[in-house]
Amino acid sequence: MAEQTVKLTIDGKEVAAPKGMNLIEAAKLAGIEVPHYCYHPKLAVVGNCRMCLVDVGMPKMGLDKKPEIGPDSKPVIMFGPKLTIGCNTSVAEGMVVHTRSPKVIKAREGVMEFLLINHPLDCPICDQAGECRLQEFSVDYGKGQSRFVEEKVHKPKKTEIGPKIMLDDERCILCSRCVRFMRDVAGQDCLGFVNRGSYSTLTCYPGMEPNTNYDLNITDICPVGALTANDFRFKQRVWFLKETKSVCPNCATGCNTVLWSREGVVHRQTPRDNDAVNQCWMCDSGRLHYKFINDPHRITTPTVKSSAMGERLALTWPEATRQIAEKLMPLKGKGSTIAAIGTARATTEELFLFNKLMREILGAELVDCVPHVGEADKFLLDADRNPNTNGAKLTGVAGEPIGSRIPAIAEAIKSGKIKTLIVHGENVVKYGVTEELLAKLDLLVVIDTLPNKVTELAHYVLPGATFAEKRGTFINARNRLQRLNAAIPSPGIARPEWQTFAALLNELGGDGGYLTIEDVFADMARLLAPLAGLNLSKIGDLGVELKPATETKGEAKTESTAAAGAKT
Amino acid sequence: MALNVPTELEQHIDEVITHYPQQHKRAAVLWLLHLLQEHFGHLGKEQVEWTATKLGLQPINVWELITFYPMFTAKPRGKFHIKVCRTLSCELCGCGGILERLQRKLGVKPDENTSDGLFTISTVECLAACGTGPVMMVNDELFENLTPDKAEAIINRIKTTGKLEPQPLPPVLPAHPLEKRVLLANMSKPGYKGAIEDYIREGGYKALPKALGMKPEEIVAEVKNSGVRGRGGAGFPCGMKWSFLAKGAGQPIYLVCNADESEPGTFKDRQLLHYDPHQLIEGILVSCYAVGAHAAYIYIRGEMPYGAKILIRAIEEARARNFLGKNILRKGFDCEIFVHRGAGAYICGEETGLIESLEGKRAYPRIKPPFPAVVGLFGCPTVVNNVETLSNIPHIINNGAAWFRGMGVPGSTGTRLVCVSGPVKRPGYYEFEMGKLTMRQLIYDLCGGLQEGRQLKGVVPGGSSMPVLKADQIDVALDFESLRKAGTMAGSGGVIVLDDTVDIVQSTLNVAQFYAHESCGQCTPCREGTLWMEKMLHRVKHGHGRPEDVDLLWDVADNVDGKTICPLGEAVAWPVKAFVTKYRGEFEKACKKNGKEATDEHR
Ligand SMILES: Cc1cc2nc3c(=O)[nH]c(=O)nc-3n(C[C@H](O)[C@H](O)[C@H](O)COP(=O)(O)O)c2cc1C
Ligand code: SF4
Ligand code: SF4
Ligand code: SF4
Ligand code: FES
Ligand code: FES
Repeated sequence: MAEQTVKLTIDGKEVAAPKGMNLIEAAKLAGIEVPHYCYHPKLAVVGNCRMCLVDVGMPKMGLDKKPEIGPDSKPVIMFGPKLTIGCNTSVAEGMVVHTRSPKVIKAREGVMEFLLINHPLDCPICDQAGECRLQEFSVDYGKGQSRFVEEKVHKPKKTEIGPKIMLDDERCILCSRCVRFMRDVAGQDCLGFVNRGSYSTLTCYPGMEPNTNYDLNITDICPVGALTANDFRFKQRVWFLKETKSVCPNCATGCNTVLWSREGVVHRQTPRDNDAVNQCWMCDSGRLHYKFINDPHRITTPTVKSSAMGERLALTWPEATRQIAEKLMPLKGKGSTIAAIGTARATTEELFLFNKLMREILGAELVDCVPHVGEADKFLLDADRNPNTNGAKLTGVAGEPIGSRIPAIAEAIKSGKIKTLIVHGENVVKYGVTEELLAKLDLLVVIDTLPNKVTELAHYVLPGATFAEKRGTFINARNRLQRLNAAIPSPGIARPEWQTFAALLNELGGDGGYLTIEDVFADMARLLAPLAGLNLSKIGDLGVELKPATETKGEAKTESTAAAGAKT
Repeated sequence: MALNVPTELEQHIDEVITHYPQQHKRAAVLWLLHLLQEHFGHLGKEQVEWTATKLGLQPINVWELITFYPMFTAKPRGKFHIKVCRTLSCELCGCGGILERLQRKLGVKPDENTSDGLFTISTVECLAACGTGPVMMVNDELFENLTPDKAEAIINRIKTTGKLEPQPLPPVLPAHPLEKRVLLANMSKPGYKGAIEDYIREGGYKALPKALGMKPEEIVAEVKNSGVRGRGGAGFPCGMKWSFLAKGAGQPIYLVCNADESEPGTFKDRQLLHYDPHQLIEGILVSCYAVGAHAAYIYIRGEMPYGAKILIRAIEEARARNFLGKNILRKGFDCEIFVHRGAGAYICGEETGLIESLEGKRAYPRIKPPFPAVVGLFGCPTVVNNVETLSNIPHIINNGAAWFRGMGVPGSTGTRLVCVSGPVKRPGYYEFEMGKLTMRQLIYDLCGGLQEGRQLKGVVPGGSSMPVLKADQIDVALDFESLRKAGTMAGSGGVIVLDDTVDIVQSTLNVAQFYAHESCGQCTPCREGTLWMEKMLHRVKHGHGRPEDVDLLWDVADNVDGKTICPLGEAVAWPVKAFVTKYRGEFEKACKKNGKEATDEHR
């Protein structure tokens, strides 16, 4: 490995950087920020913004091809007449880089000034304010008063580019990040520049706007406020929002995300860097999926069906737990009359407790999850739309293959063998357990976040929490254990399901005692080999790859996640 | 698709597409757009979409080009498109009066069509005919040495006849005794028409068989020994460039001849292309053999439609005699030459902008490294050489490196074509041994001095991008090194003479306007800085200068200088800085003229 690392000096600091690394990244290793706009680590280098100009010197080589040593017994460094862009310059042995010399600062101020002369000066009303790199650097490098007294170039102000995105060409700094993303990553060559020189304008051909499932990523990578998501535009000022690290629950890829919330409401979801999963991208369907959290019809309190007419009575949690436990207690040992359908959208912790409750305590055999399969794309989106199929398998909830026991459950209800059904988070009516069958049951307990046919028919409905409202883990298609964090509280008295399952276990005489999610994880780690030695904090923000468990063979095709790791 | 493309035209298009590697057929797009525009008069939605489908592109890829290359138009133009050059040399010779007269006569503003649909007037940038300025083109025809009356007469004739008569090539200028004509030698002979018979009669196509009998390395060594340096502007040693080629990577190697001749004040390649195409073609063939290329492209600027036709005809003549094509002269060497037309963008002269343009894209110069010698055309190792550089090659092979070194001075060997424009008695192109004449001799002996009653104020020595020399700096010898020592550069060999009637602020504005118009717009300092300078100078010229504008102008130029992707940044910064520094008094006076702050109307 030694020859793969080169030593250089950046602003007087010695840095060891891998061969081939560019100077922006190498400076980052030394804790030095080289301002840049067009450079993006996941996109082709084009070097057009010129913000990253630095002064680069190399040791002067003597005739013996060895560095010449100066009177101060240090190598003599030769600086070129011109500055060099950091994004397109690779580290080299003995290189000396200045990122803050007067020459560099002057160039940077010059570039900032050039970027601002035709830029609207209305940051306060710009949607990007607060996360605009132009605003940020102009504070550091801009001149107080504009030297530009000429007329600005005017360009189109608000252009819809597709249904999801608004383009403001006057704010665009022509860095071409969006062009490169759409062409090279999203695979739709749809953005381009028209006209020339200072009149160059970003656009797309009429009728051929971005229309992939990845378009919204360009609103993340646009360094200024030129591209904004219609979904979020002007809704909230970013500096008021709280950021919570999360994981997208919309497919088995498990893209790492940030949930942006304020006063209990999530306002947007954006991707978070994780090279082992999603690089720094996410799909639009996953991104926009969070909206169900804010659905006004959320189930907020436990209820019991109080009459044949379908009226429902609200219960407190202790009442609900006690009543359900009372109904289940006599069934202990009669597992063949009980079936349970869990969900691979639940956290591993919830699935673990669900399994323990249904199989170990109640002795049910017919336990399974519902598969959700869609089409995989060639990038991130996995065919398996469950975020935690591997968790459902590891904990034993899911059948092999997942969902294979559902027909048997339907059959057993039909034959009258099964009299009790517990359903977590799945509208099983759509998967063969019809309303007619559900109506035959003596006891139907449902845990869910939104009403559906199943909750309508249920004797007991217990409110659940969405992924944004709880802690816990998912195991993605590549067997990576990743962590959710609670961004907002659940509505009403809804609570994370692990608490509900823990309470029932307690009532039913399981050796519960789970007071925190850490307790659940610890128990899980004790019992499930692939999790041995782990705890929630060890997982970290980027997750950990689990050792391949014999039990956790991938079910759904994982080709898309393989592509997600490929360099783009 | 609704577009009705005649079979013959489509066949022509299909043939052109074969000039490019199958997986890079996008490269044919400029040709396609030229052909479609010739037929349909403009390139609207249907033409864009037809082209995109034909070449497997997205419409945006085509739309990007139509808005980048000024020769293309999305809207129909008049039947006769009058293009008046507005760049420095023509301005010095009074092009403003021509534009004004034509506008008045036809009652239209630039880029408007006359109501009868006959005419559109546009201003264009330098047409590489600066020595005969002011010039204009009407469609493909070039009209030189214009006066407002002559221009009006041309329009009248078109109006009455309804036709545009083909313009003959002007006669070759006679040699001055102080010249040494090597590249211009053939064409200077009476009766020489540039056909293959003419060329062979004068000893042409002897270098090719000789070269094919040598090892490629021997040719490279010979060229290196000759000391010939690039004539395109940068003056890079030609043999050394060839030896940098990344060979043996299993990829084809390309040779590209830069015939974009776009640097204002330069019109030498025009002569070589139009009057002696076989000299260039033989040079290209020998060079291809030397560097291991089997295909060469000649990128000729769009505004030289005749040049393109002449080259295409010459290539066919050479093919008929097996100088080109398969198994050349039965020596087992295959080589093809293709002509590629540009479409009116100066930046296509910069070698990587040229390569991008050749590949069918906006001519955005590339960041270096990698250099074209490693990753060039179609991702393959590529040599880019100027027309004049390549035209020297047959002579070096025929006569040897020592002969070539015997001309000129060390570091600047051989002859050089120099173009002189502006108010001298005999503007035009001259060929002489480098370093053997001074700028003074060039202006006062070869060109016969300034026009009656005029005094020299300054001279731009190497195309408009080079720093100006003041009148007292002209005793400099005309070679690379001497000009560098004088604080400027030999550049493209375009000498622009400024006399005492010239308003330096106006000339600086003209230069800034050129570069602002020609900035590709890719990188921040050039994109924004060039237009800023133009606007500032425009304001100053209109009496709204402020004292601080002089230093501001210099500083804006400095913030562009050396900060850009390609040397267009320097190409604007150097002349602006030099004008401001050397003629500061004129700027100060202009900025003080009214003593007013910038008024609101100029904000
Ligand atoms: C802005 C710009 C414009 C240029 N225009 C031309 C041109 O019109 N013709 C040309 O031969 N070289 C031009 N060059 C120089 C080319 O980039 C390149 O150096 C040259 O073609 C190499 O050929 P040579 O080594 O034979 O001179 C230009 C360079 C720049 C930076
Ligand atoms: S819209 Fe944004 S990302 Fe796209 S080129 Fe403009 S500034 Fe760059
Ligand atoms: S690819 Fe999957 S995990 Fe990633 S954002 Fe889309 S749905 Fe969510
Ligand atoms: S310097 Fe000017 S012409 Fe060259 S790449 Fe930058 S913007 Fe384009
Ligand atoms: S980051 Fe834009 S030039 Fe380097
Ligand atoms: S042709 Fe007009 S300036 Fe060159």
